[in-house]
Amino acid sequence: MKSFFKNLFDVKNWKKKTKITWIVVLCVLAVCCVLSAIKPSEADMKLQASEQMQKLIQADENSTRKHVTVTYNSLIIVNYCSFSTSGASEINEKYVGFAGQVFHADEGVGKFVGQMVNYTYRMLGCGENILHGAKLTLLLTTLTTLIGVILGTLLALGKISRNKLLSKPCSAYIFFFRGTPLLIQLFVIYYSLPAIFGFAWRDLFDAADNQAVYKGAFIAALIAYGLNSGAYCAEIVRAAIQSIDKGQHEAAKALGLSYGKTMRLVIIPQSVRRMVPPICNEFIMMLKDASLVFAISLMDITTISKNIMTSEISYIVFLPALIIYLIITAFFTWIFNAVEKKFSLYE
Amino acid sequence: MDNYEYILETEHVSKNFGNLVVLKDINLKVKKGEVICIIGPSGAGKSTYLRSLNQLEKITSGKIFIKGDLFLHREKDHTVERIDKQTQQKLLLEMGMCFQRFNLFPHKTVLENICLAPVEVKHEDKETVKQEAMELLQKVGLADKANEYPNRLSGGQQQRVAIARALAMKPEIMLFDEPTSALDPELVGDVLQVMKDLALEGMTMLVVTHEMGFAKEVADRVLFMADGIIAEEGTLDRIFNHPENPRTQSFLKSVLNV
Repeated sequence: MKSFFKNLFDVKNWKKKTKITWIVVLCVLAVCCVLSAIKPSEADMKLQASEQMQKLIQADENSTRKHVTVTYNSLIIVNYCSFSTSGASEINEKYVGFAGQVFHADEGVGKFVGQMVNYTYRMLGCGENILHGAKLTLLLTTLTTLIGVILGTLLALGKISRNKLLSKPCSAYIFFFRGTPLLIQLFVIYYSLPAIFGFAWRDLFDAADNQAVYKGAFIAALIAYGLNSGAYCAEIVRAAIQSIDKGQHEAAKALGLSYGKTMRLVIIPQSVRRMVPPICNEFIMMLKDASLVFAISLMDITTISKNIMTSEISYIVFLPALIIYLIITAFFTWIFNAVEKKFSLYE
Repeated sequence: MDNYEYILETEHVSKNFGNLVVLKDINLKVKKGEVICIIGPSGAGKSTYLRSLNQLEKITSGKIFIKGDLFLHREKDHTVERIDKQTQQKLLLEMGMCFQRFNLFPHKTVLENICLAPVEVKHEDKETVKQEAMELLQKVGLADKANEYPNRLSGGQQQRVAIARALAMKPEIMLFDEPTSALDPELVGDVLQVMKDLALEGMTMLVVTHEMGFAKEVADRVLFMADGIIAEEGTLDRIFNHPENPRTQSFLKSVLNV
């Protein structure tokens, strides 16, 4: 680990590609800093509203009933502001602020950029805090992969065991969970199981907790995803264990090591290095499969974007969703590449 | 305590893979301190015989005695006499094995490779084991490589570490399964030197080898195996200079005239 950090700061010996990547990243960050510093402030944006709108806003300040809905979203380098009245005299005004300028966002590029900013902001910021949707996806994926790896290791050891009472059920489990769609498994665990056994997922939490329904759904999703990921991880672990040279088993046996100790001290430590790349891959698969939780109304990025689509009747809302997913996977791909490099040191 | 005549004895050892007969009724008696070289063409069952001695291959039938105690007795692919696990383990550990492909544990350093079994199997004290391991490394001439990983070493060095690893369990018999076959010719010498030193110290050794020079130098007895049987057996001088079996004659002719 120490050498890992040493390499990280050892700029002189970096590869050319790494250097270029960092230069590009730093340039982009610098440009972002400048652009975010000179972007119009919230007050500037509000001053752009037409005279009629300004009057309505002023009138609103003194009355309890609001006629104007003011929305202000800021997304690092761009911000978006909209004013709209409801009722008979409906007026809509939308502005996009960028690089010290304020643009009308009623049509064309301005409208598109405005909508993207608005939707992205709402997707990330929906719920009790900002980045709520992404947080749920990441939490679900991380916990799922953890459960999957632990369960998968046990299942893999069971499957390759010579004891038929152990290997047959493990094989059947893996066959079942790899042979049925994840979405159906999710439905069975969220809807069917409570129906059969007469309980509700929200009962796991305090009835006074108004988030109990969502927390219950999260637990159900975690179970479904964990069980499913366990089956896939089991195959990864099994393949990794069986890819270890037979000579390693023989050497351990000749030295008198028992089966358990051979596995624990010799085979599994070696196969871990071979498991890392496919497990990382599995994590990224899970990250994307996590979008299926929209089916049980958990508020992740997909569900929120779908809700925005329904309420705004706007179909470009899925574009920012794609980009958010892409940024998250790019981040993890980058991390996993570094991890893989570290784990492949002796091979 | 040591009231046995032969340190290793096999009676009627046979091995089939399905219909293929690999070993046919092999009888061998080895005295303590003897160095036996097993030579023969490939496919003769030399390695299989060596591997079946420490149970890496399951024999079809036969008896194996170690230090006069029954280690294994199987007939028709079933164990006839059950020997309790502890005795069997104890007898198994009397044999150390070196493989053609070394089979060092690549995720552990040289020192960890050597210390693993004594600590985990014999539950010996870590510090003592470490000291003994360093002495063994000194003996095989690799004391400076103790903290290297095996893949940083040459083939010859890896094989010497493998020998040290086997010796760390303090076996009375060493089995060598073609220890130099996977090595570059110039690396063979160091490994053979270590083996010669071992032989001179009085270690009982069974060596499957193609190194006729080594066999000539240290072997007390030479077995010539062909087609799953010991075709000819005898002292060095007799096998090399006066072979009786025509198979032995043709084999030696082709090997020695290269």
